[in-house]
Order: sequence, then structure tokens, then C-alpha cells
Amino acid sequence: MVVAAFSDFMQQVVSGLASGGIYALLALALVIIHRSTGVINFAQGEMATLSAYIAWTLTVNHGWSYWPAFAATLAISFGGGVGIHRVVIRPVERGSVLRIVIVTIGLLVAINGFVIWEWGGEPQQLQSPFGTDTYSVGGVVVAAHDIGTIVVALGIVLLLWILFQFTKVGLAIRAAAVNPEEARLVGVRVTWMLALGWGLAATLGAVAGMLTAPTVGLDPQMMQAVLIYAFAAAVLGGIDSPIGAVVGGLLLGVLLNMLSYLSQYSAFGWFTEELRLPAALLIILVVLVVKPSGLFGRPEVKRV
Amino acid sequence: MTPRLTRTIGFVTFATFVVVIAVLPSFISDFKARDYSYVGIYLIALLGLNILTGYTGQISLGHGAFMAIGGYTTAILMAGNEEFGGPLSGGMKDVWTLPIAGLVAGLFGLAFGLPALRLSGLYLALATFAIAVAMPSTAKRLEEFTGGGSGIQLFGTPELTGSIANVRIFGWSLTPNDWMYYLAWSIALVAFAVAWLILRGRTGRAFRAVRDSETAAVSSGVSLARYKTLAFGISAAYAGVAGGLFVIASAFINPDAFPVALSIYLLVGIVVGGLGGLSGLVFGAIFIAFLPLWAQGQDLGSLLPDRIIEETQKPGGPAIVYGVVLILLMFVIPNGVSGLFRRIGQLISSRRYSRSK
Amino acid sequence: MRRPSVLVLALATALFAMLPVALAGSSSDPGISPTTILIGGTSPLTGPAASYATVAAGAKAYFDSINAKGGVAKRKIEYRISDDAYNPAQTVQVVRRLVEQDKVFAVFNTLGTEANLAIRDYLNQVKVPQLFVASGATTWGRDAASYPWTIGFQPSYAAEGFVYGQYIAKTQKKRKVAVLFQNDDYGKDLLASLKSGLGRSGSKVVAAEPYEVTSPDVGSQIGKLKASGANVLAIFATPPFAIQAYVFANRLGWRPLVFNNAVSGTSNTMTLASEGGKNKSVEGTISTSPLKDPIDPRWKNDPGMKQYRAILARYAKGANPNDANHLYGMAVAYETVSLLKRLGANPTRVGLMAAARSITSAGNPFLLPGVSVKTGKGDNFPVQQGQLQRWTKGRWVPLGGLWTSKRN
Repeated sequence: MVVAAFSDFMQQVVSGLASGGIYALLALALVIIHRSTGVINFAQGEMATLSAYIAWTLTVNHGWSYWPAFAATLAISFGGGVGIHRVVIRPVERGSVLRIVIVTIGLLVAINGFVIWEWGGEPQQLQSPFGTDTYSVGGVVVAAHDIGTIVVALGIVLLLWILFQFTKVGLAIRAAAVNPEEARLVGVRVTWMLALGWGLAATLGAVAGMLTAPTVGLDPQMMQAVLIYAFAAAVLGGIDSPIGAVVGGLLLGVLLNMLSYLSQYSAFGWFTEELRLPAALLIILVVLVVKPSGLFGRPEVKRV
Repeated sequence: MTPRLTRTIGFVTFATFVVVIAVLPSFISDFKARDYSYVGIYLIALLGLNILTGYTGQISLGHGAFMAIGGYTTAILMAGNEEFGGPLSGGMKDVWTLPIAGLVAGLFGLAFGLPALRLSGLYLALATFAIAVAMPSTAKRLEEFTGGGSGIQLFGTPELTGSIANVRIFGWSLTPNDWMYYLAWSIALVAFAVAWLILRGRTGRAFRAVRDSETAAVSSGVSLARYKTLAFGISAAYAGVAGGLFVIASAFINPDAFPVALSIYLLVGIVVGGLGGLSGLVFGAIFIAFLPLWAQGQDLGSLLPDRIIEETQKPGGPAIVYGVVLILLMFVIPNGVSGLFRRIGQLISSRRYSRSK
Repeated sequence: MRRPSVLVLALATALFAMLPVALAGSSSDPGISPTTILIGGTSPLTGPAASYATVAAGAKAYFDSINAKGGVAKRKIEYRISDDAYNPAQTVQVVRRLVEQDKVFAVFNTLGTEANLAIRDYLNQVKVPQLFVASGATTWGRDAASYPWTIGFQPSYAAEGFVYGQYIAKTQKKRKVAVLFQNDDYGKDLLASLKSGLGRSGSKVVAAEPYEVTSPDVGSQIGKLKASGANVLAIFATPPFAIQAYVFANRLGWRPLVFNNAVSGTSNTMTLASEGGKNKSVEGTISTSPLKDPIDPRWKNDPGMKQYRAILARYAKGANPNDANHLYGMAVAYETVSLLKRLGANPTRVGLMAAARSITSAGNPFLLPGVSVKTGKGDNFPVQQGQLQRWTKGRWVPLGGLWTSKRN
């Protein structure tokens, strides 16, 4: 009886980690775009959905096999991100933050509409690069896809770390984000660095989309619910910290499942399904009030 | 331009606007009056949000939630509920619920403003976004009061003035649509005047000081805590009244009536209208109220060529139009309509100066 | 401080206010002109329910095909579809516009339970038909006395859940049933009637997990349902979540007997859920539908389905014929045209509702053979039959004969 309860508990933890992995991937894209351009991109989820649809249409409608389609989607997404920056963001970059936010909202609405318009609203299925195998460990089932997702997320964190710490490009991106004027003086092509940031974030978003779709199902609304949790994860972990995004995402996934699991006990009986999302956000608010820059974030220094 | 001349121009403009509003129903169809009352309702919400974001510099992505609080207050008071007991078990007339809706929402705004002091910029935006997202689910959870997912239906109830029959007021007989129009717009115009008074006074100067530089404001003796919280409270109260009116206009409320999209569109409205200016907000309200319709090729949208209209009526089409128009507007009028007016004013006054040489 | 001149502002305001006025459509008598019958409805063209927008597309295609043959009593049927983004407050605004500005003859096939609840009181007050609402809530038929201008079409969720319950009660012994349901009237209706159908048979619902439409995934719920030890799973969820339920159940190695509700029981959805054949938890799923299945080879040469495909190809270019929503829309449109034909040369709203309450249509080319569309005194549910079916090796195979619900 106790053993059964424990394995049920662990199953919820595992499934929380699985959901958390998905939040982490999109959170990574949000973190990168903020870190390299200072912008919160509300359209990040929709861009990820669009990338997933591109991968889907290549494999299903045009008969490509998976890995070439995967690579092509990454490339197209990168190009798309750069393109969006040059065409849509650059004209409003110098203005107020709010203006850029509105533009990304416009992108969100337009891209979501485009996906529905082009491919219709019914759900589709995108295959997982990790297959559908599952492993059973002591009564707890773990899916290869979920392990793969978390490994990919951590791998991305590592690659980003290398990029930002050890490469000239990474340094240039950071410089362009923190102080564009001075960066220009030192010869950094700021505009291209910002475009690169958008391209990078779009590529990460593509990965997020292609790994989310196999679990959650591919449909135009796929990322909308995830986006909110991803924001929460990114803020929780520290809006400029990739490792924070991953830790934040996993933590969030597990915490929410824990609340859900505990709701069978009367002390937590008030926690019903409607409160899952508000609970996630409440956690974030609490963390923000206590540690405003998130778990791994560094406090902002305001200049007078 | 002297300050006195500016103020006189402002008054005359406002007076003209009031006259236009007052006589408009005689020139338009009965139904359009109800449509336009939504413009008035959004204007009230935008006035509030503008005080917070345009004048005090605090971004809120959650004002739809304050509208929801006001809306539910109105709906619950109108429907009556045994849980309350006593005189509140029965329903309350719709008009009297509005000040209460504003008050309740305002209190929530104050309550949120306090912890929000620790947050700014991005984090504040996300925190307010969190409220907007959490609101529908919370409303659903509090089923005994809010009617859960099915919501509360108010149509045809005696508490709703002018459900079907004409409304008699001050000796006139108004159709229900005209009644809604005048109710919404009289409150909107009053709200406008109140906002103007607040903003031109000491409070308004304090708000602007907070927006322009918090450090400078503090060193000038402006209490950040007091004014930031106050801004939240006032703007939430405005949103609450707007929400109550919204429910009266729709005669129905449920958690989906105030979705996250609404909070986002309110922000869109003040940016399109022009932050930190009042004159453009009417256009922001028109934008929010009508663009979704125009995007489907109706009304103004019927000016578009037929092929485009056909495409926009496919699923997803209206959204593409909406998003593209929004982006283009940010290119063309970066400071919103108020900003456009300011530029026109600049051009005119600079020409006057050069002519008077 | 710089202020614009009085003239500019006043002019701009007046112009802006007048513009929509100048371009508004002119009013006419309620929807009937010598050459057209104007009906209107809302559809979620944008927003979370956009996948259902194809219902209206299917109906429109059918009306267009009738118009091409001259229409009904020399009038063409104009079907005006407006987006409500699945937001009931917007539905209210849009429907009032359709009634008071566009002056439609009837409000047709509005989609969504909450949307229809929002407008029902209004439409009944102004005496405008709320015809064939696209929702399976029981109230449309049950409350016909209080709302005489409102009528539904499809079998109610209550009927459906009851049928599943009865099937389990009569053919399975002492099963433990777990239910995944959407946390709104649709899901709750199905759950309640399932329980009622199980009655005192010895099988019972041991676990029921709700999910919100805003949930990204239902992994946690499926985990809990499996942990309850149930051997029957009822999926009362919309297609994206139903597919997820199968995916998660499969991952957990759980192989219960599955009942999937009609909304998600389309072949399209089931095929997707089978994950290219690798997900075996779909095998043996039981569901029901009154419609013919677009990908069922049985209907390859069926005249009704051929007509369906031809109409879509001609009047709804780019539409996917395998999307059963189109078929549902056409079935409803077909019945509407029948009603209009009965009204003859002088259609009235009163006449329309009277006809809607006395339907005796024997066959609808898009519904399964034997499924009748019938209303009459005391019967306010047009379609009350369906065919139980079992998913076997990639397609639906009929299970038993048609069932008929007498429940209201």
C-alpha cells in the first residue's frame, strides 16, 4: 500500500519534470531574447508553434524524413527570427519599451492567425526525435521523449554558456544588449548582434516547438498555455539566466504536480484544477517579492 | 502659445466633443448607439490605465482583471445572493452597483499596489499579467458567487434598466440602446473630467515625477509608495466602473468575458491612443471596439477590395489583419494619436511664430 | 504646452464618429427580401476554438450549392458568419448586431454552450429564432417551454453519456471507471449522465479528473486516473486533450477499455492518437456518432457522401473533407433548407419555429442510415440517435444497432 502510494507520488514527480522540461525549453528562448535585446517577446510562443508547423508540413505534406526536416526548420526559424528583427522590430527599437511590446503583441496575433489560416485549427501529430519508448523503474514509467527533452534543455544551457563566455560573438551580443552606444564605439555591429539575438531565440523556440508538439499535440493553441508557464519559469529562474530558465521550469512543473497530488488530502482539498495556473503565478509573485531578480538572477542596478 | 490660450482651446474642444456626443444618437441608427456605448466603456478603462501607465510609468498587463472584478461585483449585486443575507439577498438596480464596482476594484488595486512597489518594469508587467491570467480561473473557482463557468445571466431582470422596454428619464423616453449609450457616455465624460482634474493638480505632477525619474522624485520629497499605490487604486477603480458598465451592456457575465486578451487590448488602446495624453484616448477606445469588426470586412473594413475580404473571413484571417494593422500603427504613429495631435499642434504653432516675425 | 487647434480636433472627432455611420449597412425588414433570406451566426474564427470554425464553413458551402440551383422559393440564402473568438461577451455584441443592424431572419448554428447561453434570453425576448444551436447541452431541448425560440440539433451530451453508462452496465461486470473531463458544462454533463447510466450495476466511477482549457497538458490527470486502479477510461475531452489522453495512457503502459466522446471521436482524431500505429491504447475504443464517417470505406460510393465531397470541392476550396465538422455543418444546413422549403413563398419567424418543432425528416444524406431527424409535441431534440462503434484496426466498426434516447 505504502509502496504503491510512493510510486504514484514519484510518477507525479516524473510527469512534473516532463511538463517542466517543456516550460524550460520555451523559457530558454524567452531568456535569450531578453538577454540579447532587452525585449520581452510576447510572440515567442507563436513563433515556436509556427516552427513546429513548418517541421510538420515538411515531414507530412512534403514527405521529408525527420532529421533533414528538423535541420531545415532550425535554419528557417533562424532566418525568420533575423527577418522579423530587421523588418518589424528595428523601426521601433529606439522608442519606448511599450511600443516594442505592442509590436510583439501584434506579431503574436498575426502569427497565430496565420497558422490557423494556412493549416486550419484541427490538431495534428508531430513525431518525436526520441521515439515512443518508455522505461519502467520501480513501478514508475519514464518516457524516452521526456528524458531527451531535459537532456536537450541542459545541453542548450551548456552551449549558450560556451557561446556567451568564450566566443567573440557571444561577447558582442552581450555588449550590444547592455550598452549599445559604447559597444558601437568599440566596433560591435550592434544592429546585427540584435538580429542575431532574435535569430538565436527563434531557433531555440523552434526546438521548443518541435519537442513540445509530440507530447501535447500540434495545434495552433499549443504554445499559448505553455507561454504563460514559460514566462513564470523564466522569471522564477531569473530573466537573464539560461540555467535559471531550466531550473525554474522543472521546479514549476514538479511543484504544480505536487499541489495536484496533495489535493487528495483534505488539508489541500481546496486546490482544484482551476487553481493550477493561478497557483503557478502566485508562486512567481511570492518569489519576486522576496527575491525580485529571481533565483539565479542578478539585481538590476539603476542609474540615476 | 500661452498657457491660458491652451487651456481655453482645451475647454472649447471638450465642450464641442460633449455636444457631438449628446446629439449623435439622433443621427445614427438605434443599434449603433449600443455599439458606441462600448467605445465609452473602453474609454473609461483606458483613462484609468493611462493614469497608471502613461502618467505614472507603471506598466499593467492586468487591467482586464480589474474590469472583471468590477463586472462581477455588478453582476453579483444585481442578481442577489442568499449568501449575503438581509437586504442584499435581492437584486440591486444596475446603476447603483457602479460606484460599488469601482470601489471594490479600487480597493483591490490598492491592495495590489502595495506589494507591487517592489517590482518595476518587466517584473511589474509580468506580475500584472499574472493577475489577468489568473482571473478567469479564480472566478470559475468561486462558483457560489460567480455562477462558475456558466456565469450570471442578467437579461430581462428587473434590475437591468431598459432590458426591453423604453426607459423614462427626466420626461424623455429612451430606447434601451440609447439609454445604454447615454449612461456609458455620461459616466465616461465625467470620468474624463475627473481624470483631467487629478492630472493637472499636485497628484498629477507627482505621478509624472515618479514616471520620469523615481530617484529624482524621491529627492524632491514625493513619496513613491503613496503615489504608486494611489495610481494603482485609481486606475483599478476606473477599470471597475468600466467593467460594471460592460456587464450591464452585455447583460451577461462569465469567466471568459474578461479574457487575457482584454488586458492586452487595453494596453494596445492606450498606446494607440497615446500615452500621457488624454485627447487621443477616444481613438484608442474606437480602435479596440471596432478593429475586430473591421478586420472581418465589416463597416470600415468593407473599403478593402473583395479578394482581401474573402481571405479575411476564413478562420484566422481577421487575426492576421488585426496584428498587421497594429504593427503598422506602431510604425506610423509611434506616439499614438495624442502624439499625432501634438505634432500637428507643433507644426501649427511653429508656423504662427515664424509668421509673426 | 502645445495643443492642437480646435478645428482639427473637432473635425477629426466628428469625421471619425461619422465614418462607421456612413458605411453602415442599410436596414431592411427582418431578413426576408424578394431575393434573399438572410441568416446569421457566430463562429470562432479566431481564438481557442478555431478548429470548430469549419462547421460554419461546411454549412455555408451547402447553402451556396443550393443557391446555385436557384435557392429556396426563388430566394438565395445568405449566411453571414461573424467571429466571436469563443468569448461569450463578444457573442452577445455580435448577435445583437446581427439582429438589430443586419436584421437577420434567424440566428443559426451558433457554436458553443456558453455562447448560446449568453444570447438565449435576448433572442427569446426579441422573438428571433435561435436555430439549431451547435452545442449538445441538454438545456436546449429540456427548457423549450421557457425558451420557445431556441432549439438544438445534435444528440445531447446527456444522452451520450447515458448510452456509455448503459453499455458498461449491460455488457461489463463490476468495472472501475475513471473519467477525464473538461471542467465546464460539456464535460460535467457527460460525467453526470455516465454515472446515471451506470446506475446500480456494480460498475462505478472511481476517479474523475477535470482539466481546464488553459492546461498545457493532462499528464498529471492521467497519472492520477491510472493510480486509481480503474480498468475503464472515459475521455470527455476535446480533440487536442483526447489525443493527449491516449498518448499519456500509452506511455504509462495503461490499457483500459476506452470510451471516447463523439466530439473527439472523429477518425481524424483517432488516427492521430494512434501515433502512426505505435499507440495501441486506441484499439477497442468505443464511441458514438450520428454522422457518417468521411474516411469510412463503407460510404465510398454513397450518394450522400459523394455529394458532400463535391460540394466542398466546389464551394469551399481548400477545405479538408476528412474534417467531420464540415459534415456536421452540412447536415444542419440540409435540415434548415428543408424547413425553409416547407415555409414556401412567405417565410416568417413564427412559421420557422413552428416548422422546427414539427420535423419529420426521414433521412438526411449526411447522417447514418436510420438516424431520423424528428421533433414534435414533447420532443424537442431533433437528433436523438446514434451508432455505437468500436475502433478496430484503424477504423470505426459499428457495434450493435442504432441507439435511441428517450431522455430529455
